[in-house]
Amino acid sequence: MKHLQGWIIWLFAFAAIIGLPGAVWHQASAPAFPWAALLPMVSLLVILGLAAPAMAASLGPDGARHRMLVLLEAPPDFLWGGLMLASWPSTWGPPGLAAFGAAFLIAALPTEVRWLCAAMPAERPFPLAYGTAVSRITRRIVVLHLMPRWLAARVPLWLTAALILERIFGVQGFGGDWMHRISNRDRVGTAAWMLAFALLWRATRIWDRR
Amino acid sequence: MRWRCVFLLALFMPELALDPFSADLPSGWPHLLGTDSLGRDGLLRLLHGGARSFGFASAVALGSLLIGLLLALGEDRFREGRSALRSLPSLLLLIPVAAAFGGFGWASLALLLATLQSLQLEPVLRMRLDPFRRGPAWLMNDVLGATPAHRARAWAPWALLQASPLFPTAWLAALWGEATLRLLGLGPGPQHDSLGLLLNEELPRLSTDGTALGIASLSLVLALAWSSSIPRDAQESA
Repeated sequence: MKHLQGWIIWLFAFAAIIGLPGAVWHQASAPAFPWAALLPMVSLLVILGLAAPAMAASLGPDGARHRMLVLLEAPPDFLWGGLMLASWPSTWGPPGLAAFGAAFLIAALPTEVRWLCAAMPAERPFPLAYGTAVSRITRRIVVLHLMPRWLAARVPLWLTAALILERIFGVQGFGGDWMHRISNRDRVGTAAWMLAFALLWRATRIWDRR
Repeated sequence: MRWRCVFLLALFMPELALDPFSADLPSGWPHLLGTDSLGRDGLLRLLHGGARSFGFASAVALGSLLIGLLLALGEDRFREGRSALRSLPSLLLLIPVAAAFGGFGWASLALLLATLQSLQLEPVLRMRLDPFRRGPAWLMNDVLGATPAHRARAWAPWALLQASPLFPTAWLAALWGEATLRLLGLGPGPQHDSLGLLLNEELPRLSTDGTALGIASLSLVLALAWSSSIPRDAQESA
C-alpha cells in the first residue's frame, strides 16, 4: 500500500509511452537491442557505481566544496565529449567505446562524487572529535545508506548523458537504443525500458528500507 | 544571484535581423567573429544568444527553487510518488509531452524544466529547512494561531535565504539542460537563437573547420565553468 503512489506514477509513465502520439511514415521494424554494448555499458556503470561512493567516502562532506570537482562538474557533458573527440589522436584509429567510456567517466564521476558528498552530514564537531578512524567508519556507513537513493535518482540521468555522448562518438549503447525505439514508435520496447527503470526504483526502495 | 537575474530582461529581446547578402563573412572589421550563413554577426549572436540563455536559466532556476520551496515547506506527503518521479528518466517524460503538444516554446520548456528540477532540489531544501521547522520559533506560529498568509510573510525571506545557495547549481543545470534539449531537437525552433543552439552548431566543427565564433563560444562556456568553481565566500566578497 505504501508504494502505491509510486506505482501510480509509473503507470502514468507507461500510459504516456503506450499512448505516444504519431506514427512513422515508413514501415520500420523495432531496432535490435545493442547486445555488443551490454558488457561495456554495464562495466562503465559498475565502475561509476563503485568509484563515486569510494571517492565520496574518502573525501567526506568537504568534497562538496572541492574546487577541482566543481570545475570538472561545471561544463556540460557534450563539451567533454567534444573535447575528447577533438583531442583523440588520429593514429589511434576512430574513437569508439574507449573514448566514449573515458568521456562518460570524466563527465559523470565528479558530479556523482559531489552529489554524494553534498548529501553527507557535517563531521564537525562529531564524529571527527572521536578521531579519524571513527569518522572513516561513519562515512562508510553514511555512503552505504545513501547508495540506494543515489542510484534511484541518478541512473536515469546517466542514461541521458550516455545518449548525448553516444551521438558524439557514433557508438551504439543504451541511450541511443531507447531514443531509436521512441523515434520508431516501438511502444513495447520503450515500455520495457520503462519497466526496467520501475524495477530499479522498486529494488532501491527495498534496499533503502533495509 | 543578482547579476544572473538581470538577464531575465533579455528574454524580451527581439530576434536578430537576417542579412543574406553578408552571409559567411570571415572574421575581420566590422564583423569581429565573422557572420553565419544567415548573415547574422557572430559577436552579436554570441551576446544575444548568451544573454537570452542566461535569462532562460535564471527563470528556470528561480522557478525550480520556488516550486522546491513549496514542496519542502509542505507536509512530507506523497514521498513515494515524488521518489518515483525523481527516478523517471526526464527525457522519457519530455519526449511524449513534446509529441503530444507539438513541441515546446520557451515558456512551456521553462515550466517543465523548473518542475523536473524542483523535484531534484526538494530533498536538499527539505534537509536545510527541517531543523528550523522543528524548532521553537516555527512551533510558536502554531501556538499563536498564525494564519498561512502571516506565516508566509514572516518566513518567506528566511526560506529564500536558505534556498539561495542552491541557485548557482540550479542555474548551470538549467543552462546546460536547454543546450542538451536543443542538441536532441527538443525546444524552440532554430529561428530562436540561444547559447545552446550556438554550441550545437559550432562545437562539432571546432576540430575540423573551427571558426572564431566557435572558439569564442567555447571560451564563454569555460569561463562560466571557471566562475562557478570559485568558492562561494570569494564570490560574495568580490
